[in-house]
Amino acid sequence: MKVIGKQVRKVDGFELVTGRAKFAGDYQFPGMVYGAVKRAGVPAGRITGIDIEGARNTPGVIDVLTARDIPGPNLIGVLPPYDQPLLAADEIRYAGESVVLIIAETAEIARFAANLVSVSIDPYDPILTVDDALAPDARKIHEGGNITLSKKLLKGKGKAALEKADVVVEGVYETSFQDHAYLEPETVCAVPGRRITLYASCQSPFHIRGHVAANLNVPAASVIVVQAVTGGSFGGKDDVATEIGSLACIAAQRLNRPVLIAHERKESIIGSNLRHAARISSKTGAMNDGRIIAREITVLLDGGAYASESPFVTMKTLIHAAGPYNIENVEVTSTSVFTNKTYCGAFRGFGVPQVTFASESQIDELADKLGMDRLEIRRINGLKAGDSNPTGQVYAQSVGLQETIQVIAAQPAPPAHPDGGRYLYGTGYASVAQGISNGAEGIDVAGASVQMSQDGSVLVGIGLTELGQGSRTVWAQIVAEVLGVAIENVSVRLVDTDAVHDSGPTVASRSTTVGGMAVLKAANEVKKSLISMAALMMQTDEENIELRDGFAILKMDDSARIPVSSVATAAYWTGFPLMNLAFSKAPEANFDDDTHQGDIYIAYNYGTHRMDVQVDAMTGKVKVLNHFAAHDVGRVINPLGLAGQIEGASLIGFGMAHMERINYAGGIIQNANFADYALPSIKDRIPTNSIPVEDHNPTGPFGAKGAGEPPVAAAAAVFANAISDAVQFRFTKLPITREDILNAIQQRGNHG
Amino acid sequence: MRYLKPSSVSEAASLLESSQGMILAGGTDMCVYMAEGFCSPETLIDLTGIDALRGIQINRDDHEAGTMIIGACTTIAEIAASEELPTCLRQGAQAVGSPQIRNLGTIGGNVCNASPCGDTLAPLLTLDAQFVLRSAGGTRTIASENFFTGPKKTVRKPNEILESIELPIASCGKVSAFRMIGNRNGQAISQVNASVCLAIADGRMSDVRVAVGSVAPIPLRLVELERFLTGKDIQGMSLTELREPVLEAIRPINDVRSSAKYRQEVTVALVFDALADCAGQYSRVGEGASTC
Amino acid sequence: MLIRFTCNGKAVQLEAQPEARVIDVLRDELGLTGTKEGCGRGECGACTILLDGKPVNSCLLLAGKIADREITTIEGIAGKDGALHPIQEAFLDKGAVQCGFCTPGMILSTKALLDENSAPELAEIEEALSGNLCRCTGYGKIVEGVLEASERLRQGSHHRGDVS
Repeated sequence: MKVIGKQVRKVDGFELVTGRAKFAGDYQFPGMVYGAVKRAGVPAGRITGIDIEGARNTPGVIDVLTARDIPGPNLIGVLPPYDQPLLAADEIRYAGESVVLIIAETAEIARFAANLVSVSIDPYDPILTVDDALAPDARKIHEGGNITLSKKLLKGKGKAALEKADVVVEGVYETSFQDHAYLEPETVCAVPGRRITLYASCQSPFHIRGHVAANLNVPAASVIVVQAVTGGSFGGKDDVATEIGSLACIAAQRLNRPVLIAHERKESIIGSNLRHAARISSKTGAMNDGRIIAREITVLLDGGAYASESPFVTMKTLIHAAGPYNIENVEVTSTSVFTNKTYCGAFRGFGVPQVTFASESQIDELADKLGMDRLEIRRINGLKAGDSNPTGQVYAQSVGLQETIQVIAAQPAPPAHPDGGRYLYGTGYASVAQGISNGAEGIDVAGASVQMSQDGSVLVGIGLTELGQGSRTVWAQIVAEVLGVAIENVSVRLVDTDAVHDSGPTVASRSTTVGGMAVLKAANEVKKSLISMAALMMQTDEENIELRDGFAILKMDDSARIPVSSVATAAYWTGFPLMNLAFSKAPEANFDDDTHQGDIYIAYNYGTHRMDVQVDAMTGKVKVLNHFAAHDVGRVINPLGLAGQIEGASLIGFGMAHMERINYAGGIIQNANFADYALPSIKDRIPTNSIPVEDHNPTGPFGAKGAGEPPVAAAAAVFANAISDAVQFRFTKLPITREDILNAIQQRGNHG
Repeated sequence: MRYLKPSSVSEAASLLESSQGMILAGGTDMCVYMAEGFCSPETLIDLTGIDALRGIQINRDDHEAGTMIIGACTTIAEIAASEELPTCLRQGAQAVGSPQIRNLGTIGGNVCNASPCGDTLAPLLTLDAQFVLRSAGGTRTIASENFFTGPKKTVRKPNEILESIELPIASCGKVSAFRMIGNRNGQAISQVNASVCLAIADGRMSDVRVAVGSVAPIPLRLVELERFLTGKDIQGMSLTELREPVLEAIRPINDVRSSAKYRQEVTVALVFDALADCAGQYSRVGEGASTC
Repeated sequence: MLIRFTCNGKAVQLEAQPEARVIDVLRDELGLTGTKEGCGRGECGACTILLDGKPVNSCLLLAGKIADREITTIEGIAGKDGALHPIQEAFLDKGAVQCGFCTPGMILSTKALLDENSAPELAEIEEALSGNLCRCTGYGKIVEGVLEASERLRQGSHHRGDVS
């Protein structure tokens, strides 16, 4: 392989390091005006009146829009029937809800005027906990009630099998809301016209196009969505981009002026989706030899005010709750609930971090109860090729969990530390499996085009988005490998809904696999044309020709070669197609809807982490001494990008486990800024050592599997286990802050 | 909005008197307040064009006494980097915000903003700093202990400019250290901070000053603790013996950043660590350790 | 108010409100959109520029304060021939860039560090970049990028020394 598996610079990096990359907020058009919204400010109630006079009379204000001014249904969402208004018309379901849109000559004026809008709200008692939402007499947040979705998974005899276990461990685990905290707040810029164009910082441009069109009440084809360079997303720039994207387009068409809406940081936290808080009740039964025979798990997700991706996250928790283990009997119930808080949706890991924390904590508790080594219990129960996973799916290959465990076991042991000093030391392990592709969450298709020019350079188009994760580089590598050209000669189009094919959402670690397969297929078709042309030119059979180093080369005589540009030029004039549009479709998920037994994902990424920590018993401060993160990624396409994905995802998991928590008081977020919502700084980084394991995956390009999400779950879980080991206290809630650690040390000191 | 940039202190004082404007120094707090809409001054008087307000000067008298004078617009970064200044103040300055903030923010701004978690405040208290306030009518000098009256409140009147901060040379000759803890390691806001400054003779502590921030509406001198420490062996301090006197001296609150209980526990640890830092400096430099 | 200052080595004079934020002056008046706004409160460092060579948050800097001073933005650090600065090269080679939104600020903080300290220790790198948040990389690759840049700059200056 010339390019696959080689360390490659990010193909779109030049623009980023020079400041030339155009993010949505960098677009400037003549006559552009700016939008800002007035938010509800109270978590629940009914709007009784809106006074916009003060705002309207503010110099510089151009327009003031309320729900009545939305031409279409005033609804967005992920799954129909959509439940979330662009601007609230009557009901207020969370404090960050948008009610009025102000358009002004400057963003400052728009914000100032938004503060002058007075929304009269007849408040309800807000429903702020899942328990309150599920109470029999609870007020219904939505007409259909307070449950978004509740699903069940049943394998074997389910919880009934717990009776047969020699030991059973039981626990309740909780996690908090987490903000994506991408550095670029959500931003869109709409340019009016007969066909309107929206430049958006976003994750899924076709999803946005559909909602913009519906809310403008025009056909989808008359809307052009261009993904601007996007400053991080992690699942977060879907719903909110449809919200502000639709608002900007509606205002732009009304005023016939370009409209830019950029969230402030505070709005990014209170007014766009978060990671679900979760409460997970879990029982695990095992035999004395360590074999787990049954798990019973109940997952309760706080989904906030609107459905968003909650149904899919619910499914993901259902399927992943029992972990990467070969267990005969599994029973899981997952339920997502509405509350009067900021809505929750997709966030890197998509429910898996929450359930993995619970599962891996309990595996440690089980090991302790059995007196077994904590890594050994994972080895004994961990999935192998041919095993039946919790949905009963059996993979004949690319189940690399055991290898990740071996690799972790082979790492140098942490140095021994004397007991009794100021510092406590601990080591934790955690394993994870995360499904790749949409799987049970929906049909999984991607379309990609590959087009060679006469000079031999190549243009790739795909509807999946680059969000920083390096997908464009991976696709370029695949094409460069297939066509035998230098990666510098491959460019990947911007995602413009006019120019690329709808490839579904950029989620579920599917860009490399499902997207990569489409790119591979299209590239192979172009390759066929080139080889046919070269065979004609060299007067030989096609099988004698290979594409390499920018040439069509005769296999038996390396010196007989024609530059690929000459082949491409000849092919062009001969009429051989140099462009192909190909689709890849993941095998359809095939499962029983009542038990969720069946084939769900095209593959899983498996991982095992080890973390060594030092805890200051006087302050609760933690130093991560080592962090080993082994993941079975099928095949490494770009080692540099892969390491970056594992390291970055791990720090998000670490933040979730140690530092990050959205604090609510009375339904209002108290820490909607980067001073009080503490994401890790460079001084908080952890020394992640990423270790790829390659267990060839037949459903991915060159055997690859996605890798962007799984380390989040493993890193969060391994932190909890390492800290619990150091403090000799089982932590059951994330985040485990310095304060929690100190409390535990003192409790332990008092009782032990 | 009017924006004025005087070039002398007297000009600034008279502009302040006549315009009733607000003072702008580094702007790292003021710009946030303006962005949040907490204040929208009609007139801003930017002091950072006044050269006389910048830099550090030593005025020694004949008896090895005298004062070190810090111009109020000296940046936090300059304070942190100044080898002339006592350790606790440099460490406190180093703990403020980020490099970017420290390059803009000024020590006068940190003092006048009077946030209970301001990281230079506890050090200044332990150094017996004096704050020189200047108005069109003249100057007055306030002891740091009497300067702060509540969160973001001081005795400074709207027509007064904090001109300089004076440290007794005697304070600068002592051993000192600062410690803080926040919700993360980088760019953290103090949940608690602590500064100690003391003289050591024959290993025993004297002339002890201890101050803590973020545990009360104002930065607090812990006088009882100072008395407790006086005469004790700097090398032999244990966490256990500090616990009671520290906990008795502070009454922290719960807020979004921390619980009262955690603040209490960590204050003990920070005072302990600061003392240990002092002990380390003493054992390295020996008797008469001086950081000036 | 007419404000004169130096921006990326060029003398600039423009009419601006002295209380305008420098980030807005750079982006809106000078079209230098490489300076990014991530929080507007001095908490993320995406808007970092160099003021007389020192990193500052341009969202907390008022235009009235930059008169007669020297500003460097990300647009000003590449070579005259358009070649990337060694820090930019090193960031690309080491995978220090993912989404790229924090990158301009990160590069400028790095430049300020390396201009003062050509061979920084790990702790010094972490201190120098502690005001620049990144959500994508986990920072490890950024540290590698800074170390690589430091190495290249030292070698580069050494080579130049050889020539002269």
